[in-house]
Amino acid sequence: MKLYLRDQAPLIALYILQLFLITLVYRLDGYRNAEVSLYAALLSSCLFAGYLLIRYWRNRTFYARLSAPSPTTEELLNNKQQTPLSLSLHRLIKGQYRRYQTELQQYKHKLDSHIQFINQWVHQMKTPVSVIHLIIQHQDKPEFTAIGDELDRLRKGLDMVLYTARLDTFEKDFYVEELDLEQVVRSVTSSQRRLFIRSRIFPVIEFERPLRITSDEKWLSFVMTQLVTNAVRYSAGEEHRQIRFRGYQSGSEAVLDIQDEGIGIPQGDLPRVFDPYFTGENGRLYQESTGMGLYLVQQICSRMGHGVEIESEEGRGTTVRIKFKLTNV
Amino acid sequence: MFKIFIVEDDKKLVSLLEEHLHKFEYDTRSVTDFAAVLSDFRSYDPHLVLLDINLPKYDGYYWCRQIRGLSTCPIIFISAREGKMDQVMALENGADDYLTKPFDYEIAVAKISSQLRRAYGSYAASQQTRSVTVSGLTLDVDRLYLTLNGQKVELSHTEAKILEELLTRQEQVVSRDRLLDRIWDDQSFVDDNTLNVYVTRVRKKLSGLGVQDAVQTVRGQGYRLLPNWEDEA
Repeated sequence: MKLYLRDQAPLIALYILQLFLITLVYRLDGYRNAEVSLYAALLSSCLFAGYLLIRYWRNRTFYARLSAPSPTTEELLNNKQQTPLSLSLHRLIKGQYRRYQTELQQYKHKLDSHIQFINQWVHQMKTPVSVIHLIIQHQDKPEFTAIGDELDRLRKGLDMVLYTARLDTFEKDFYVEELDLEQVVRSVTSSQRRLFIRSRIFPVIEFERPLRITSDEKWLSFVMTQLVTNAVRYSAGEEHRQIRFRGYQSGSEAVLDIQDEGIGIPQGDLPRVFDPYFTGENGRLYQESTGMGLYLVQQICSRMGHGVEIESEEGRGTTVRIKFKLTNV
Repeated sequence: MFKIFIVEDDKKLVSLLEEHLHKFEYDTRSVTDFAAVLSDFRSYDPHLVLLDINLPKYDGYYWCRQIRGLSTCPIIFISAREGKMDQVMALENGADDYLTKPFDYEIAVAKISSQLRRAYGSYAASQQTRSVTVSGLTLDVDRLYLTLNGQKVELSHTEAKILEELLTRQEQVVSRDRLLDRIWDDQSFVDDNTLNVYVTRVRKKLSGLGVQDAVQTVRGQGYRLLPNWEDEA
């Protein structure tokens, strides 16, 4: 109503002015009967008010729609009135909405085919990786060991690309089952054994008792591989360091601590380590940081409903803690 | 002799696989025309099929269903897709097992022989008993025995692996890293000392057969086996 009145204000002003003007002209001409003049003004005003009211009534949803705070798209597309203004507004909105939808669909399609391309490409790259892996498998010369190390890096890089691309379609790619936590830890440390051996850092696995958790093995293994790679990378350089995997029960939760004796994370960087592309001071010291590792860890864990925390002291080491809901036995 | 049919479009991978499988006395044939997989299968009539998923023309799932129409022989998928859903899909299409790229020779051979054993009975297992012999010293890798001149000692799994590595590369230096890599899976806890302990045990077993100082330490690098024993046979 307010918007309508504001919209019609010039017309109302014009009308009142006209009324005065006409009355004035008659008056100057010598016509002095005020009563008749007032009566004529009243009749005319009533007519005008009637016009305003009818017009408002016919266009009320049009105005309501214009002044309502951001209605949903469906409400916006729902038109019952047949006045020209209302109809053309409806056409305008509908046209814009269609265009915007088409554009959105195009981008969605582009994104989908991009993800599909990445998926396919990474899988294709795994064939040459397998071939190199098989060629060097039974070789023990330092050159081949070096090629093997680089091959491991390639594999990790490929996995990182694959898992990052899949994060958006996580729900389609998720297979939950009951797992033995220690088993998962052991298979991850075993698959990363070259990394451990090369860095002369060895894992210690301590479990008080078997812990059954519910998770997706593939994603969880990826998370642990990221954490293990970080732990080894930031502990390398000194021998006889260990990486401790401690599994224990805390209330209704199964907890896994991955504790290294590495360089630690500066206090100032701690709150931001889970941000994407954040590398911090350590990232600048060590070249391989992409800033994606811990971000992916946190994203994946939160999607699987696991908690993840990080504690660190510079020079003393870092502990990453993953909390699982314990499966009732 | 077991016949293995390999359907994989990467020629290099196929040749490496075939070379390795021939060492275990498997007969192999690989597909060259990916439109005629089925007729190749019919003419070769294999005991086991290794099947890639990403293939030209039709995918592995398709061929798996086609082969299942003809035969119940074990089919093992080879694929880069490691997801559970992909594996479930493979099994639903009639596969028996699943091998994820990149894989080790050992895992490939283990899966093949276990499928053959399951499908064709236990005599399949006898085919792959491996042994390494150097100047009369014989290591039975699967039964964990070491024999020289009629004398026999038992070995642990880890000791056998170390000896296998040293014997197949006699007179060469085998790096610590490689030995650690080999014994990793058997141990709940591995570090640098673990290897020292096991090498000491291997030396003790060898001296039990009268072999002294055959395993030499090469400082900073690894170990070397010199066949300094006498073969009386």
